[in-house]
Amino acid sequence: MSLRTHFSIIGAIVGKDLREFSRDRFWMVLTPIALVAYIGLFWLLPATVDETISVGVYQRGLDAVIAEIGVDEASGLEIVEFASPAALEAAVDAGDRVSIGIAFPDDLLEALAAGRQTTVTLFVDAAVPNELQTAVRALVREIAFELAGVGLPVTQPGEELVVLGEDRIGRQVSPQEEMRPLLVFFVLLVESLALAGLVAVEVQARTAKAITVTPATVAHLLAAKGITGTLLAFGQAVILLVAIASFGNEPLLLLGGVLVGAIMVSGVGMIAGSAGRDFMTTLFTSVVLMVPLAIPAIAALFPGTASGWVQVLPTYGVVQTIVGVTIHGFDWAEAAGYLAMAAGWCVALFGAGWIVLQRRVEALERRARAARPAQGSAPGSPLAGLSVGDRLPDRRHARDPARVRQLVRPQAAPRNRRRRSLRDHDGRRRDRGHRAVAGWLD
Amino acid sequence: MGSSAVVPSASQSTDARAATTGSAASAVPAIEVEDLAYSYGPIEAVRGISFQVAQGEIFGFLGPNGAGKTTTIRVLTGQLRPKSGTARILGREVGRDDPVLQARIGVCFEEKNLYDSMSAEENLRFFASLYGIRGLDAEALLRRVGLGDRVKERVGAYSKGLRQRLMIARALGNTPEVLFLDEPTVGLDPVSSRAVRSIIREEAARGAAVLLTTHDMWEADELSDRVAFINEGRLYAVDTPENLKLRYGKRSVRIRRRDGEAVREEAVPLDEAGAGERLAAAVETEGLLTIHTEESTLENIFVEMTGRRLEQ
Repeated sequence: MSLRTHFSIIGAIVGKDLREFSRDRFWMVLTPIALVAYIGLFWLLPATVDETISVGVYQRGLDAVIAEIGVDEASGLEIVEFASPAALEAAVDAGDRVSIGIAFPDDLLEALAAGRQTTVTLFVDAAVPNELQTAVRALVREIAFELAGVGLPVTQPGEELVVLGEDRIGRQVSPQEEMRPLLVFFVLLVESLALAGLVAVEVQARTAKAITVTPATVAHLLAAKGITGTLLAFGQAVILLVAIASFGNEPLLLLGGVLVGAIMVSGVGMIAGSAGRDFMTTLFTSVVLMVPLAIPAIAALFPGTASGWVQVLPTYGVVQTIVGVTIHGFDWAEAAGYLAMAAGWCVALFGAGWIVLQRRVEALERRARAARPAQGSAPGSPLAGLSVGDRLPDRRHARDPARVRQLVRPQAAPRNRRRRSLRDHDGRRRDRGHRAVAGWLD
Repeated sequence: MGSSAVVPSASQSTDARAATTGSAASAVPAIEVEDLAYSYGPIEAVRGISFQVAQGEIFGFLGPNGAGKTTTIRVLTGQLRPKSGTARILGREVGRDDPVLQARIGVCFEEKNLYDSMSAEENLRFFASLYGIRGLDAEALLRRVGLGDRVKERVGAYSKGLRQRLMIARALGNTPEVLFLDEPTVGLDPVSSRAVRSIIREEAARGAAVLLTTHDMWEADELSDRVAFINEGRLYAVDTPENLKLRYGKRSVRIRRRDGEAVREEAVPLDEAGAGERLAAAVETEGLLTIHTEESTLENIFVEMTGRRLEQ
């Protein structure tokens, strides 16, 4: 068989699969809705991270000090003044612009000058973390020292800030960027479910059998399934990536990572499709397989949280490649390790899907056969225990009992049977490599 | 077991068929099975069967459910590899992927494994593309099986009978030299069954060898040049239906006559000594009402040979 014929057969099966997919109402409705939802969700998420902390202030006669604190935008601190402590409290309570408020008493300067105890009121929203509350307390004390003209009783050391890794001050990873790998992975995983459905139908309706009695072989069928799954997953992932503007850095590297992911989930789809006995069990199996595979993508939402065990999950390399390229500007050298890890898992999962699918069909046939009762003998049959060759005596001997006895001979003697059983045993051993193919065919 | 080449019997009814099974055509048997065995684990489904089918011959494979008919077809079509023995189709050994051989056979399965979401035409075109056939006249093929007016209809909407017709059309798509039909008329109404039988005869007349499994003995008798009885994986007999009936059937004449007020019935076995005299005497008896000849059916012979009924 020429290479062209191989491609022609695989192409025909892929075309058929895509036609079936396009006529499945469930997927035809779900796929565009999911894509639009993912794209919409991405663009609804904030594209930037607001690093400025707004602090509400009520004060009388402290304008100079407050202005000195609030003018520096780079400090990330914004001062919002209020006309009364009540207005400040109401604003913090409502979460209107500010979540922290500092109400200085009207007699603050006099009290400080007189050395009299006074109280500065801090209003904080319940959601404000402790660290920020502590920082604001420190800020109030520093203002008090400033106003009182008393320095701290220590000599402050000089400061040198050393940022390890990429300094993203002023350009923090936005929720949009954090969500990108997760969305891509959702598309891949959902399409693995679509492939699982196609495979399950092919197995359960036994149309695979009809294909493999033609010049198409099991290998053609499996290759076509892999290509169909990869095309569906990769195609939609690329549409998503284009729609969410992800091709700024190293587009080929990004496509490579997504392609490896698409092949990987095709293997998962083949496993799920072989495991399912009907739509529900296929769906259930797919979801069970998807959950661990989705963990690395979810972990990407919280940088630095991926535990050791997450890093050995099959999809970790793919997710890290996507994250690296789209967020951290990875080049091929930086992504090579992750990509290699993903490629290894890809081969393993696709190979597993290939084998499991073959075995599944074989097991189905074995079970169907084993369920049938063993054939009993034919009691009362005049020919029970006899075997007949393919040529009975011709008509002129039909009434000759001796001739009939000669041609209708007793069942093979035990010795012969033993010899045959040995042949059978050898045959089974020889056939081991072929049984999987036979299972598909059956 | 039978080793000589099988020549279709003299009972073949058409000159065309006789021509296709002449010496040149039958030099290589279309199907050649020798001591073939297959088992599913501990269950021996086929136990050392041997037979041959000539080109242009319709060979009926008869037996009850679980007799080994379908397993034999699976082995012959390359779906299962024989545990022992050999099977050759058109001179090529089966049992491994052989696209050249697969391109020359057609298979109609018992289960209706069609693509429901595709139309009949699309189903046929898809399978034709696997054979490398471009430009298949699917409409003509569908007209031939009586589906000419449902070409574009999705198969999911087809009844069982319509699906069966499409299964047969699919098996014919590559103009096969050997046709395997597993229960081809199951689920069909009498008119459709007749149409399918007609197609089978046409295929044989064109020169295709047809291996037909069925447990409909009437159909086998009507259609087959030769039949094989299979039960528990063993072949019990292989011959023409006529020879089987002559050899194993019990012929008799049933005579009814009036005896006073009563009606008496008497069976005169023709294969016993003195049957002619008894028959003559019965005919000359006064009060003769009716005379009916009785011949054994294939089913009677099958039951006698195997002790099982076909519908078991």
